[in-house]
Amino acid sequence: MEAYLVAIAIVAAIYVLLALGLNLQYGLTGIINFGHVGFFCVGAYTAALLAEKGWPPLLSFSAAAALAMLAAWPMGLISLKLREDYFAIVSLGFSEVVRLVVTSEKWLTSGVQGITGIPKLFGGLATGLPNSLAVLAVLVAVNLLAIAAMRRIVTSPFGRTIEAIRDNEEAVKALGKDPAAFKIQVLMLGAALAGVAGAFYAHYIGYISPDQFIPLVTFQIWMAIIMGGVGRISGALAGTFILMLFLEGSRFLRDIMPFISEVEMASVRLGVVGLALVLFTLYRPTGLMGDFTRK
Amino acid sequence: MIPFIELALNGIVSGLVIGLAALSITLVFGVARFPNAATGDVMSLGAFAALAGASASGTLLIGGVFGIAVAAFVSLACYFLVFQKLSSRPPVASLLASIGVAFVIRAVMGVVFGHQQKVFDLPLARPWRVLDIRFHPTDLKISLAALATLVAVFLILHATPIGRRMRAVADDPSLARVSGISPRRIMVALWLLSGAVAGIAGILVGIKTVVTPEMGWDLLLPAFAAAIFGGIGHPVGAVVAGVILGIVQEVATPFVGFTYKIALSFAVLLAVLLIRPKGLFGTVAGAR
Repeated sequence: MEAYLVAIAIVAAIYVLLALGLNLQYGLTGIINFGHVGFFCVGAYTAALLAEKGWPPLLSFSAAAALAMLAAWPMGLISLKLREDYFAIVSLGFSEVVRLVVTSEKWLTSGVQGITGIPKLFGGLATGLPNSLAVLAVLVAVNLLAIAAMRRIVTSPFGRTIEAIRDNEEAVKALGKDPAAFKIQVLMLGAALAGVAGAFYAHYIGYISPDQFIPLVTFQIWMAIIMGGVGRISGALAGTFILMLFLEGSRFLRDIMPFISEVEMASVRLGVVGLALVLFTLYRPTGLMGDFTRK
Repeated sequence: MIPFIELALNGIVSGLVIGLAALSITLVFGVARFPNAATGDVMSLGAFAALAGASASGTLLIGGVFGIAVAAFVSLACYFLVFQKLSSRPPVASLLASIGVAFVIRAVMGVVFGHQQKVFDLPLARPWRVLDIRFHPTDLKISLAALATLVAVFLILHATPIGRRMRAVADDPSLARVSGISPRRIMVALWLLSGAVAGIAGILVGIKTVVTPEMGWDLLLPAFAAAIFGGIGHPVGAVVAGVILGIVQEVATPFVGFTYKIALSFAVLLAVLLIRPKGLFGTVAGAR
């Protein structure tokens, strides 16, 4: 039982990292990033491949964050100056292309078979529950660090500028600031968080393949931050909690009702995520606890 | 040389279908002002409905009409249930909701029709050979159906009162309202039309390849790329860009491989945004 709870907590902590990144991008700056899973995927593959080569985690995790940022940069440069929904389309396309690349470049990623046997973090020091607890502790520390950074950002001049961009881009332009430059920085910061999340994911699950990085993952995170409340750190936490309840709950539902096949359950999950997106945008755009107009 | 001509011909056929999907997106964009991500799944739905109709009635024609009707009706239902309520909010809300709608439609299709690939039951035909160039009779029929749809849509847009009003709303919503055009009727006509066009596109893709719940979503990226390439909100542009994209995709396949076909439309999209964000026929104001 403890092992199960710790396992869920680890996955939840990874999702929180993703949600914090997206919250920074959409919640604080108004960037419609529909390709979050693409950066997650870049991070996961970078960490897995470098671990195979024997890089120490500290270096490979930094590389995962750096590569995810590097992937975000040209994309932001091209499309963040344009209409905001253009960026939504471009980012969605980006995540699909990342998935195509890791599917096709078999020499590097072994294609649809994926990469197996990625070593666990601290695998040499401990095994079993103590090992999972150590991973969880590191993840919580990274999350706390990210949250502290986020709080710093919100109260800094940078934070005030990006929130102003979200609320009224024209006004920011009129004040002589270049919104695109700020947006690119925010996009890269969020991508770095997603990259680190991907690195943790790869090491924890131990196996990555292209079909773990479908757009549905992106929209699960969207569902989480919208349910929790856009633009609030507590919202990202609460939303991720609901998301985990839903994901784990649907697994239990399968155990109780074995006549539902796994493929059907996948459809049901897709439908629930879709319905949540529609209903929350329609009736509760500020989420369960957030308020877009107040901080 | 001959393989390239064959590929180019093939590209025109798939380009016409991409053009239809892009037309559906651009129609909604022009009037409702958001990129509708549910277009792809309405396409798949049209194809599945056509399959069901064809196996129930025994003829592809009745099946096709049924598929188009279902797609148009579901598109209208999406408007009344979701997008109408979001019309006064920023476009982000509609865009996000359209993703949700897309997922719901795909989930329903996955449960009802299953995930196995399905094909339209068509008589096998021998490809024609003209000057050593092979061309499939089915491809000709698909192209003709796509062209007929395009002609019909442009006739509706340019030769009927409702089409004229639709273009007026796309041009300047407040001016149109002041001129006494009822937005409600325009919206009903618009969503029916864009749903029907998406349905036809889906059926044609289904006839050319196979029918799966994911087929429409997979075509969404090329369709968006074509809509932006043509100048968002510009119907002729969407079709022209769709055909160009189709030809580029097919002709490049021998060089980049089959799996990178979709990545190619992404590259085209980035190139367009970099060089000419307003697209072939669009206005600067549309892109910024």
